[in-house]
Amino acid sequence: MTSEEIVEKVKAALADAIQDTDLPQGDAVIFVAPDSWPAVAKFLKNDADLQFDYFSDVRGVDYLLEEREPRFEAVYQLYSIDHQHSIRVRVGIDEDNPSVPTVSDLWKGALYPEQELFDMFGINVEGHPTMERLIMPKDWEGFPLRKDYPLTTEAVTFSYNRDFKSDLVKSKPPTR
Amino acid sequence: MGLIDQAAEAFETEVNNLKLNVKDAVEALDREYAGSLYDTILTTKLGKVVGWAQKNALWPATFGLACCAIEMMAMANSRWDAARFGAEVFRASPRQADLMIVSGRVSQKMAPILKQIYDQMPEPKWVISMGACASCGGVFNNYSIVQGVDRVVPVDVYVPGCPPGPEALLYGVIKLQEKIMMEAGTDKAKKRVA
Amino acid sequence: MSVTEQGLLQRDKDTMTLNMGPQHPSTHGVFRVILEMDGEVVKTAEPEIGYLHTGIEKNCENKRYVHVIPMTDRLDYLNPPGNNLAFCLSTEKLLGVEIPDRANALRVIMCELSRIASHLVWLGTHALDIGAMTVFLYCWREREMVLDLNEEISGVRMMTSYIRIGGVAKDATRPWLDGIRDFIEYFPAKVDEYERLLTNNPIWIDRTEGIGAFTREEAINWSLSGPALRASGVNWDIRKTHPYSGYDKYDFDVPVYNNGDIYDRYRVRVEEMRQSRIIIKQALESLPDGPYKTPDNKVSLPPRETLHTSMEALIHHFKLVSEGISVPAGETYVPIEGARGEVGFYIVSDGTNVPARVKLRAPSFMAIPGMCKIMEGCYIADVVGIIGSIDIVMGEVDR
Repeated sequence: MTSEEIVEKVKAALADAIQDTDLPQGDAVIFVAPDSWPAVAKFLKNDADLQFDYFSDVRGVDYLLEEREPRFEAVYQLYSIDHQHSIRVRVGIDEDNPSVPTVSDLWKGALYPEQELFDMFGINVEGHPTMERLIMPKDWEGFPLRKDYPLTTEAVTFSYNRDFKSDLVKSKPPTR
Repeated sequence: MGLIDQAAEAFETEVNNLKLNVKDAVEALDREYAGSLYDTILTTKLGKVVGWAQKNALWPATFGLACCAIEMMAMANSRWDAARFGAEVFRASPRQADLMIVSGRVSQKMAPILKQIYDQMPEPKWVISMGACASCGGVFNNYSIVQGVDRVVPVDVYVPGCPPGPEALLYGVIKLQEKIMMEAGTDKAKKRVA
Repeated sequence: MSVTEQGLLQRDKDTMTLNMGPQHPSTHGVFRVILEMDGEVVKTAEPEIGYLHTGIEKNCENKRYVHVIPMTDRLDYLNPPGNNLAFCLSTEKLLGVEIPDRANALRVIMCELSRIASHLVWLGTHALDIGAMTVFLYCWREREMVLDLNEEISGVRMMTSYIRIGGVAKDATRPWLDGIRDFIEYFPAKVDEYERLLTNNPIWIDRTEGIGAFTREEAINWSLSGPALRASGVNWDIRKTHPYSGYDKYDFDVPVYNNGDIYDRYRVRVEEMRQSRIIIKQALESLPDGPYKTPDNKVSLPPRETLHTSMEALIHHFKLVSEGISVPAGETYVPIEGARGEVGFYIVSDGTNVPARVKLRAPSFMAIPGMCKIMEGCYIADVVGIIGSIDIVMGEVDR
């Protein structure tokens, strides 16, 4: 099925669950609210024409700098092995108590990426068996990929600017 | 009689000749080595011999973290044979190794483990910081990479590159060998063995 | 172990916890598995990742698009051109720029050479873990030839950053093309050599056949991709299903085996090495003439000669070098078939010259839970074989 057909079929079947659709550069994209996401996911997986049985990825995005509501977004990418088509689902998540239901009961491959959503963005995935840190150390505080988390707290040590001498280098003890 | 006697006589003269030849040869050898006793005896400091033995048998502990580990494996392979320089056996257990080549970026989660592995190595031990990430954080100046492995362990040789080619790492090993020889027999080497 | 009220030690559980720690010769990077073992049989395997977390994705949000490309090299460090290509394809889709045929062919050659190099590392380290050290030395001998070719064309052995937005960095040189021709003449005999050593070797078959098997449904549900998926009977290769960079012009087979065990994953990758060589041969023979990067000067640098005469070229050059390309706002994802599976970059752009979000879809990251699931019930020696056969690279797992 082409992207237009996929989008039409999904809109026809689940009209109230789909907030919006889009076809950027030929990809099929639908916008879903977090509460209706499990129902949409089940439909996408089980419908005979769509049959999205392969879960490719879920990515978190923080739109803080663009100042749009909702702040976070979880973007799911699904493929169908037999029909060889794909769809992208964008689930907008609010800033206060960000959470989205899990789909790891439908696709076990979603376990790790959803855990990473929590680790990097602080988005709580309801129903996920292990909601703990995955990539960052277990006692890390803060969610690194949010836009208000600083990239680094350390100044640059070396510079091509000959007059620049970083505080780090000035106070560094001589090596052995 | 005749033929057998002749044969026996010929045999006897041959043997006598041989004996004379051997005697000549032994005398010639004696003459040759008479004045060169000192060519066969070497005098040196014990520390230097120990340093020479250490530098020619540096056993690296496998501490390959990221991309630099692949170039470290290339150094151990047949094209840039590290075995020629004594660093052939890459020990999996740090307790059997004396050189730790930190090859790759050290993240905040890995830093305690780096320290633990370093502590588990018996002394004397050396550390080569391979690559830009291990030396100074490399391309990654952010919240999760330790900006230089010398914040965690003392480093002897820094090898720059991203990743450094195996020839660069081999040069680093050679430089470390020179460092060991320079320090051998002095107080610095004694400090390493605590 | 815990202490009872009387002060005696008592065992809490019947299994032994064995930590296959981050520093381990067979974990292919800094990967930690905590094994609960009943004797030699693994009851559960709990993975722990994050020891190589580099924060590349956050770093990329502060860099211009062309500066992100060397960062992408260091994600899956065994297949750098693959990462470059995935990033460039996503960016070019947002830009809407057309890539000339010669650039596509050069990209294909570079990616397939890198796939061969990556599979050689996989074969060498996997065989070394299982005990076949000869294969390790042989594979690196061929890999050195590929790295020499990389150095010829880009100056760097591994992290070439050869594939740029709009095309490639530099046109193909005569020594490079001759070197590739020599390599593809020389290579098939070497793959036969590896197969002679391993494929019918009873020790290899004993160690790998029937172990760590995924069924077709399991492989799809656990989101495996690449050779691990194809070894389980799923005919899914992105070069065939969603062709990119002109892959539909080349005639090559996609090996698919059915058992899904370590042995089949080995067979798939060895056959892929042969097929990559066939693709390179076709690309080389049909290398089209033309520009090696798009003539659109808002995306790629104008040729140096025109800087002397054309004011427009000078301005474009200045803008591109100082500011970088400005990508229209939007989001996109283009998957490619990397050496380990489906690689893709999800890029969100806000219209400026710096991406707003760059996320790598890493095949090794998606494979880890499934891999640890099938370790259950295996011997500890098989754990090593399974990790090696799924071919994980921690650089892309932890990013």
